[in-house]
Amino acid sequence: MIEFIPLFMFMAVCLVLMLGYPVAFSLAGTALIFAFVGAANHVFDAALFGALPSRMFGIMTNVTLIAVPLFVFMGVMLEKSRLAEDLLNNMAALFGKRRGGLGYAVVIVGMLLAASTGIVGATVVTMGLMSLPTMLKHKYNPALATGTICATGTLGQIIPPSIALVLLGDILSTAYQQAQISQGIFSPKTISVGDLFVGALVPGLVLVSLYLLYIFIYSWLKPNVAPAHQSDDEISAFQIIANLLPPLALIFLVLGSILAGAATPTEAAAVGALGATFIALLKRQLNFTRLQQVIRETLKITSMIFMILLGATLFSLVFRGYGGDELVQSLFVDMPGGKMGALLVVMLVIFLLGFILDFIEITFVVVPIVGPILLAMGFDPIWLGIMIAVNLQTSFLTPPFGFALFYLRGVAPAEISTSTIYRGVAPFILIQLLLLLLMTRWPTIVTWLPEQIYN
Amino acid sequence: MLLPWANVNIGQPVNKQIQRLPNTFLRTLQCLVAFIDKWTLRSGHAVAWLLVLMVAMQSLIVILRYGFEIGSIALQESVTYLHAACFMLGIAYTVTINGHVRVDIFYRQFSLQKKAAVNLFGAVVFLLPLCVFIFITSFEYVFQAWQFKEHSSDTGGLPIVYLLKTLIPLLATGLLLQSISEIGKSILTLVGYPQIAQAEH
Repeated sequence: MIEFIPLFMFMAVCLVLMLGYPVAFSLAGTALIFAFVGAANHVFDAALFGALPSRMFGIMTNVTLIAVPLFVFMGVMLEKSRLAEDLLNNMAALFGKRRGGLGYAVVIVGMLLAASTGIVGATVVTMGLMSLPTMLKHKYNPALATGTICATGTLGQIIPPSIALVLLGDILSTAYQQAQISQGIFSPKTISVGDLFVGALVPGLVLVSLYLLYIFIYSWLKPNVAPAHQSDDEISAFQIIANLLPPLALIFLVLGSILAGAATPTEAAAVGALGATFIALLKRQLNFTRLQQVIRETLKITSMIFMILLGATLFSLVFRGYGGDELVQSLFVDMPGGKMGALLVVMLVIFLLGFILDFIEITFVVVPIVGPILLAMGFDPIWLGIMIAVNLQTSFLTPPFGFALFYLRGVAPAEISTSTIYRGVAPFILIQLLLLLLMTRWPTIVTWLPEQIYN
Repeated sequence: MLLPWANVNIGQPVNKQIQRLPNTFLRTLQCLVAFIDKWTLRSGHAVAWLLVLMVAMQSLIVILRYGFEIGSIALQESVTYLHAACFMLGIAYTVTINGHVRVDIFYRQFSLQKKAAVNLFGAVVFLLPLCVFIFITSFEYVFQAWQFKEHSSDTGGLPIVYLLKTLIPLLATGLLLQSISEIGKSILTLVGYPQIAQAEH
């Protein structure tokens, strides 16, 4: 019985989370209760508590994670500088005269926004508020419009530089070390956040191309779902370049410096944050009040992320204390289907957890448990990271619990029924699954670019 | 979009004079909530400015490193300190403005009373014990660091590691205070004064 306590703990936390109390505190609180009851009954070693302060200190001084507030700052600053609005107006004017043109505009702006902000909820809401009314006004099919917005809104997970990949990269690098040490390799190879960024680049672009292709084919087969329209205002090429250049330059600078291997993600993030501030200044959108909003929002998001990390740390501490690692390991040993069977189960569990938990929680709670086991089976760490990222992104799109759907529902007009949104995202979910299949069949989609760059 | 008090009926103007609470206990609670929230919000707003400093310093590091090939451990550690201070001191602030992520599949549809019940339960069962626990377990750890006035292990690093470690009990204290305020707000809402519970926001 006692050996199954970690499983009970996991189930208990899932139930508790349904109440709606903040995830970070629920994780930590539930773990504490289990630990105290266990310690009182002499089935849990209370000495493990002593490790908590040094674990917390480890999080505080983790150099990789310094990139997180900097990237958040950059994203919030760009969001508040009304960059997305200008870009979308430009793109709509540019593509609007073509069939499906607004759809392309949304996907491309969504991609640029994803690269620069990387926060799913924010992107879906921003895109939903900005582009949904325009698309509906121009007689776009509501299902297509909402599906496109939801899907592009989740791109922030996968298109680097993404905060999700920073967190995942940090956890995976520890998991990779553990996996190699458990196999008796004492000069382990390492992976970094930069590796994950590089690995995500090709799959991210493939995904965007598939979205565009879908809109192209659909609007070609059924012209009335995405009609062309006469643009009201002509815009000059100069205007387009003037609006497109700053964000492109910023993304190029941030990604380029990491890809070239020169800068660490933290350094690139600082450059990004500074660059975003300059863009906001250039667009005359930066004043004292705006700056105040930006830093308060950044503080909020950063604290939220790190509190989850602290809560998850306590949770894993207790989970391990009860022998959770050994339990999960033994479950995997008995798994039919070997390596691929284990991967499939983990992917399925992560997909289902994606309904109730955000990327951050899953990265901090689940990946440290299953990561070392899967990596010890010989999966490539970068490939595994990208698979998890795309898998979660799919989960966020999947009815009835997908996060992106809730966010869009919140800003969509009431006459658009929830089932319309569900129908709209269905093709995009298929595209996601297609990408997952492609990456499983040809892992080089992920691993090729890192190999070229790092040899 | 995740504000729990967001669907309070703002349409009716709330007159604080009329909404005078019936007994001393509730009035004390109201004052306590207002006091704690004001403190946490102000400290959060102050801490947020550290982010500007952090961006500036990390950018300076990049410029020094790639422009002039100068590296400074003290400067890099300062950024780490700022980063740690931001989130450790920002966590209580984020509670005040309800910025911590919830699984709100059901929560979003709850009435104000039900939300308050969840928050009361969570604060008493999870948050309060957590704060006390962090404070107690970190006490010895931080005490030792102060005793030896712990320095950075890197040469050229900052000689104030004990201050950095002190952020752990500070987090616990700030969060403890704020959880008391959250409990107060939940009680005020549950006994029928949701407007007062969110008056200071």
